[in-house]
Amino acid sequence: MDAVQTLRRGDPGYPPALATRPGAPTTLRVLGGHERLARLLHEPAVAIAGSERPSDYGLQIAASLARGLAAAGVTVLGAFADGIAAAAHEGALEIDGPTVALMAAGPDRVQPARRRGLHARILQHGCALALQPPGVPWRPWHATVRARTLAALAALTVIVEADQTAGDLLVADAAQELERPLAAVPGRVTSPVSRATNALIAGGAPLVRGPADVLDLLHGVDGPARADNVTTASPLPSSLPKRLLAVLERVGAGQDTPGRLTRPGQDPAETLAALAELELMGLLARGDGGRYVPRQSLPDG
Amino acid sequence: MLARTRTFTLEGLQTRPVNVEVDIRAGLPGFAIVGLADPSVREARERVQAAILNSGYEFPARRITVNLAPGDIPKIGPGLDLALACAILAASQQLPKEPLEGHALFGELALDGALRACQGTLAVAQGCVEAGLPALVLAPARAREAALVQGLRVAPATTLRAVARVLGGGDADPLPEPSEPEPEPGGADAPVGPDLGDVRGQHHAVRALVIAAAGGHNCLLSGSPGTGKTMLAQRLPSILPPLSRPEAIEVTRIHSIAGQCDGGLARGRPFRAPHHSITTAGLVGGARRGWVGEVVLAHRGVLFLDELSEFAKPALEALRQPLEDGRVAIVRAKHSALYPARFQLLAATNPCPCGYSGERELCRCSEADLARHRRKLSGPLLDRIDLQAALENAGPQGLGARPWTSSVRARERVLQARERQEHRLRGEPVALNAHLDARLLARHARLDEPGERLLCEAQARGTLSARGQHRALRVARTIADLGGRERIDPRDIAVALALRTGVGPRASRAA
Repeated sequence: MDAVQTLRRGDPGYPPALATRPGAPTTLRVLGGHERLARLLHEPAVAIAGSERPSDYGLQIAASLARGLAAAGVTVLGAFADGIAAAAHEGALEIDGPTVALMAAGPDRVQPARRRGLHARILQHGCALALQPPGVPWRPWHATVRARTLAALAALTVIVEADQTAGDLLVADAAQELERPLAAVPGRVTSPVSRATNALIAGGAPLVRGPADVLDLLHGVDGPARADNVTTASPLPSSLPKRLLAVLERVGAGQDTPGRLTRPGQDPAETLAALAELELMGLLARGDGGRYVPRQSLPDG
Repeated sequence: MLARTRTFTLEGLQTRPVNVEVDIRAGLPGFAIVGLADPSVREARERVQAAILNSGYEFPARRITVNLAPGDIPKIGPGLDLALACAILAASQQLPKEPLEGHALFGELALDGALRACQGTLAVAQGCVEAGLPALVLAPARAREAALVQGLRVAPATTLRAVARVLGGGDADPLPEPSEPEPEPGGADAPVGPDLGDVRGQHHAVRALVIAAAGGHNCLLSGSPGTGKTMLAQRLPSILPPLSRPEAIEVTRIHSIAGQCDGGLARGRPFRAPHHSITTAGLVGGARRGWVGEVVLAHRGVLFLDELSEFAKPALEALRQPLEDGRVAIVRAKHSALYPARFQLLAATNPCPCGYSGERELCRCSEADLARHRRKLSGPLLDRIDLQAALENAGPQGLGARPWTSSVRARERVLQARERQEHRLRGEPVALNAHLDARLLARHARLDEPGERLLCEAQARGTLSARGQHRALRVARTIADLGGRERIDPRDIAVALALRTGVGPRASRAA
């Protein structure tokens, strides 16, 4: 479905969440069909946003949040951009969950061009919204317009990782300005890319550890049947052997390379075998330079 | 008068017998050389004339015609000087003709009549044996190479006059002393080169290197600058099995032709580490006739590509054929040849262009940089690399960490593993686990049920292609061999899988 459909403020298909906001874009270009868009935005949706150059931890958590939300039937919103946003789209797409991607420039400008594949896959089950007319190239202020639209459209915005830079905080600033609900994922206090997210939490934003926390915020603690949906998305089998669980926890604690994981006197082959098994089970992913990173947060003890 | 001498010319890595025919007759003094002589041979006119005169002989002031037969092979190199000079002396009756039939002559002449050694001495010696010539007269400097060949009488001679003495039945000059005592190759002597015990920590990478050595697997090392990738790579030759005698002669011959031989039998496997600015021709050969590429110089040894991502893409593409076949074909307008190039590939790379991938605070790369870097590393080359190991930044112990093993101990294990492979693969066309194809894997790397299940899981997850499965099986087979086991444990598969991916920057990030 390559056709671009134009939605003007006042058209029946125009998202109601935006219609009531002052300063919302007058025209939206929709890829994927406005009926689908309406269906996806019928229920409250969650935006996942953050730095375009996050750490592996941020990428995995963003993906795991999106996966969990998609499994619970919640639409995931995100900018069409590198970093946290792309990871969120990918996470949802892993289980064929629908996402809505906001493109900063015209509908014909798939940027970054490298992510054309992602764009096409998003459109299989989801939608893309472009905020500028066709043929309009990228301009720096388009990102700000997009950030505001994203924050306005979402019932809740979760910032996964962000440094104290204007770029990383675009969406968070927009959400605060529009007085939209904002939550953040904590990170190491020594990591630059968790600087702003930790600051947000210190300033009162709710803390998100996993999809369950997001659903709690979205629906309130007595949300419908969330427990079951969430567990299907987080395949941590209760019967995980102790030795694998131990390795998983230590990786999460920061011992993320075979070298750090192997104790002196221990057989390195054992460590490598455990890592491979965990990777096969989908509990670990490979990150920078051969390091391992958990694919989701720890379940409540 | 007519005279004939025997010599050889080089064509790629082969030698071709050349008959030097000289005809001297009355007429205007002249000295013509025919027979597709290249410039270095045509210059022989000046050298031979001066050498003959300065040796106290007469240079006939008559019409001299030299023919280098056969006439359809290009003649190269100054090694034909000696044969030319002797033919002229014989045709002008200053040398007896009969001995010339049984002696091959090879060497360059200095203007004062001294004899100089030339590249390719060993190859020429082998050519003599093939052509049925019982004796070879040559310069002493590289005569040791020729002495390696069985069934040939080697007669070094320092000057043209000495050559005449030898041809007349006199004694040859002595062989020069070898520069180092020559141990018998194939024997259990000390490992050659820097020791693996110098490497502190990095146990996983060292283990990976040992696995690579045992099975002949190509290996990629990745890590930030300063983690010791180059240092580790340089220690691979010390844990490889020593060259057998036929292999040593093969390697010496190649290096002799390329002018890289120091005169003795090659010890230790070749270790070639070209700089990343090398051209395709430099890597695989072919720039000019007789130019031997790095892959051929690495035959029976290791080709180490440091900073893999900095190599030009065409150069890396050209490695495809030798990695696949163990040979490289050079096709030029006037000649084509096949050169042997069976080597083990070792490569090192940074995880990202700035080198600090993972250190978020230090890594300055943009997404475009990372994507470009990853693209460089991908493709047919990575496909042929069975093992990947990451070197980590120094842990809290730093240089105080203990080494994983020493070269002596590691080589011991490698040799045992190689023995098992040899035994298992007897009668098969390959001798190493790294060269097992699908058919041979099915025959020699069978898995039991738990192992099969593990592989199926990996395939189901979509992260393991058929090629990836074969890679994992090959490596698992070697791991089992190192452990002295005929049966491949599921754990061997798991370790093989862990050693296979994750060197690109942010491999988990979807492209």
